[in-house]
Amino acid sequence: MNEKILFAVLLLAPVVGFLFNGFRWKSKNYMIAGSVATGAAGISFLSALLLVSKLFGEGAPKSVSAGFFDWILVGGLQVGASFVIDHISALMVLVVTGVGTLIHLFSVGYMSHDERPSKYFAYLNLFLFNMLLLILGDNLLLMFVGWEGVGLSSYLLIGFWFSDKEKAAAGMKAFVTNRIGDAGFLLGIFTLFFLLGTVNFSEIIAKVAGMSVETGWTGPLTLAGLFLFVGAAGKSAQIPLYVWLPDAMAGPTPVSALIHAATMVTAGVYMIVRLSPMFVLAPNALLIVAIVGAATAVMAATIGLAQFDIKKVLAYSTVSQLGFMFLACGVGAFGAAMFHLITHAFFKALMFLGSGSVIHAMHEEQDIRKMGGLKKYLPITHATFFVGWIAIIGIPPFAGFFSKDEILWFAFSSPLGGFPLWFAGVVGAACTAFYMTRLMALTFWAKPRFDEKHTHPHEAGPSMAIPLIILAVLSAVGGFMGIPHVIGEILPGHPGNWLEHWLEGSIAKPEGFGHGSKVMEWALMGISVSVASLSALTAYNFYVVDPERPAKFVASLPKLHNLIYNKYFVDEIYFAKIINPIVGGSRALWAFVDVNFIDRGTFIVGDFVKGIGSTARTLQNGNLQQYAMYIAIAVAAIFLYLLEAPKRLLEIFGG
Amino acid sequence: MPVLSENLLFFILAGLTIFSGLMVILQTNPIFCALALAMTMISIAGIIASLGAWFVAGVQLIVYAGAVMVLFVMVLMLFDLKDEVRAFSRGLVSGFVKIASVGIIGGVVTAAIWMSAETVFPTTPSGLQVSATQSTKQLADLLFKKYIFSFEAMGALLLIIAIGAVALSRIQGGTHADR
Amino acid sequence: MPIADSLANVGLSHYLVLSAILFTFGLLGVLLRRNVIVILMSIELMLNAVNISFVAFSRYSPNGNMDGQAMVFFVMTIAAAEAAVGLALATTIFKKFREVNIRYFEHLKG
Repeated sequence: MNEKILFAVLLLAPVVGFLFNGFRWKSKNYMIAGSVATGAAGISFLSALLLVSKLFGEGAPKSVSAGFFDWILVGGLQVGASFVIDHISALMVLVVTGVGTLIHLFSVGYMSHDERPSKYFAYLNLFLFNMLLLILGDNLLLMFVGWEGVGLSSYLLIGFWFSDKEKAAAGMKAFVTNRIGDAGFLLGIFTLFFLLGTVNFSEIIAKVAGMSVETGWTGPLTLAGLFLFVGAAGKSAQIPLYVWLPDAMAGPTPVSALIHAATMVTAGVYMIVRLSPMFVLAPNALLIVAIVGAATAVMAATIGLAQFDIKKVLAYSTVSQLGFMFLACGVGAFGAAMFHLITHAFFKALMFLGSGSVIHAMHEEQDIRKMGGLKKYLPITHATFFVGWIAIIGIPPFAGFFSKDEILWFAFSSPLGGFPLWFAGVVGAACTAFYMTRLMALTFWAKPRFDEKHTHPHEAGPSMAIPLIILAVLSAVGGFMGIPHVIGEILPGHPGNWLEHWLEGSIAKPEGFGHGSKVMEWALMGISVSVASLSALTAYNFYVVDPERPAKFVASLPKLHNLIYNKYFVDEIYFAKIINPIVGGSRALWAFVDVNFIDRGTFIVGDFVKGIGSTARTLQNGNLQQYAMYIAIAVAAIFLYLLEAPKRLLEIFGG
Repeated sequence: MPVLSENLLFFILAGLTIFSGLMVILQTNPIFCALALAMTMISIAGIIASLGAWFVAGVQLIVYAGAVMVLFVMVLMLFDLKDEVRAFSRGLVSGFVKIASVGIIGGVVTAAIWMSAETVFPTTPSGLQVSATQSTKQLADLLFKKYIFSFEAMGALLLIIAIGAVALSRIQGGTHADR
Repeated sequence: MPIADSLANVGLSHYLVLSAILFTFGLLGVLLRRNVIVILMSIELMLNAVNISFVAFSRYSPNGNMDGQAMVFFVMTIAAAEAAVGLALATTIFKKFREVNIRYFEHLKG
């Protein structure tokens, strides 16, 4: 089929779904709303598959693209509504539409008791459309439109139950925090445009190809890279802008799975990978990315250790895993970042949906202290969650093992990396293993801590089970697309690293990247796996074998626990140091500058205009013929002017 | 002399058009206005026909002198209007301004056309004089190919107008309702 | 241009002048008459004046261009539509005030 048509279908199917459900937003028929929305997402997925299939085979093009119309043509700025699927966006578009379809399907079951399912599905489709814009746009501006669009849909969905003040505030927080990042993103776009005169990805890459690596801190590419990273940090919840993501869990759980785990929050990583040829020329910007990523990975993981809300644990886990992805980007392992992005999308979506299933079964109870022993009530959820658990803590051969170890290996071996970054990664991985095991233990394994007589948790219907099973399978086998060479060598058939091969040429590599001894790689792999397993075993001991111990342990370190439990008081610090001064300053500005100068100035202008208006309004008295007379006078005047009547009259009478 | 007779035809038709056009705005009884307007339409159709646009002339007769005029006359009959006491709107100053500005428009345009007549406007029609059927064919070709979108848009406009007119006249429940 | 010459050779300018004169009459009618229906008639007059110039331009164009005649159709459509709506408005005004004075349209405001 024609590529243009496929692109149109891919992009417009969610729009149709959005409009359909948007126009019947009052309807409570979740079956119709859900099947239309899921169908739209499915159609998008199919057309994405068809488009991506064009990239395979002998002599296949490096990318397929379609230009629809010229969007902005101003001077040197030429932006088209053009879309492209290359080897990077192909991965992303399949993940987004594929996981997106599964989550739509899950939502049909999850939202069956909701008051406004049509609105929910409309927003979900809107999100999908904007995400596709973000992924497929062939220039930064189009990406920015999608970037803002997903921010909007995320805001709408976080605050979906807006009658609860706290949830509405969570949506607002996400929106405002993202806005800070977006300002950085915009500045980055401006810098790049100022520097290169284009916002088109392929042109940017072609133009930076001739540039040399910047060593200083003030080079234009470094600046652009840092600005763009501010945008990425906002959208992908990195220090210091990560605070919105845990609060974003106020939204419905499938939304958390889709937007705040699998797709939208990875947009920042995707953007950096897309611009990797530019970033490798700015190693100092990459250094910042790596440090922020590593710090976020560790910090969020430690916060996750002490949270009791099942979704909050997963949220901090997401922040931490995103930190891993940025760590990978920062050391120049863009392929590893993409790899972890994909596997993370699988297992984190799985775990969020699993938690949704648990919450659904427990009648909106999210506190893991009031769960336990759910294994026998929710066998499917438990089994799939179990797969997600092994995947995230990095036990071979599940997906997370391959991607996380690739990141850790490159953090160690890359010329931009080093031991400290690797160590931070291992600490993050150990914490991850601990809190995930704790989550599993408290939710599914330990003794039930809820009233079994009154609450009867049970599995929901197939619409919720099918996505879980599919995602579990993907989490189990997803890692095989990127088997490292050292493992591939000893396996029968010597499977190569398919993902690395696939991304070859699409992403850049810093100089001297990818060397290191095989022994070292094996050793590091062994260390990280054993650390994770040890950590998981400890957690198992703590929470299943000896449930008394955590309390004692906490009691021995009250200050530390308090610090972590309260998330390092980051929200409070932000309030005290940033938000309150800004609010106070604004108040002062309003009371003094606004009232005395700006208001007075506008009043003067206003009174002036009012004076003119009261004179002029006599002209507009409703008499139609008088209006027509004004037209006639004006026409006569224009004619006289055009025909240079005064001059002609002078010629006739004067000469 | 055929040229002379054609010229004569133009001047007769033009005189008729101007006279009846003047009557439209000067008659105080609206019915006479309507009749003068019909007269104008017919003589304009004549002028159009003398320019070789036979089909357009026919449509002019049918649509204007036929349909639109019937509409006007019917509404006038419906209202049962008598000779107007005050046919023209009030205001001496505004009346003067109106006449002056319209006079300037008319005068300037006419003068401009007349003064530039020799240099700009051709005095002889183009050589491609075609038969009535031929020109109709060409016209259809234009309407249904080059201007097809505008043509369809006009169709949509007429539909909307029909609905709008019905909606307007139903506002107070039809012409017979006089509650 | 001498008078006799202009009498003998009827050209494009003759038609245009006729059109301009007719247009002026129409404009005068719109500006000066009080009766809404007569105003509508005057508008028809203006549109017809334009039609004359369209056809004349089409006839005198160097390559026998028919676009002018096609344009006449659109003008006619607009004229018919305008007459329909205008008369519908006039009837509503008449139903309320028993007269069709243009001044009553002032009550449409707001």
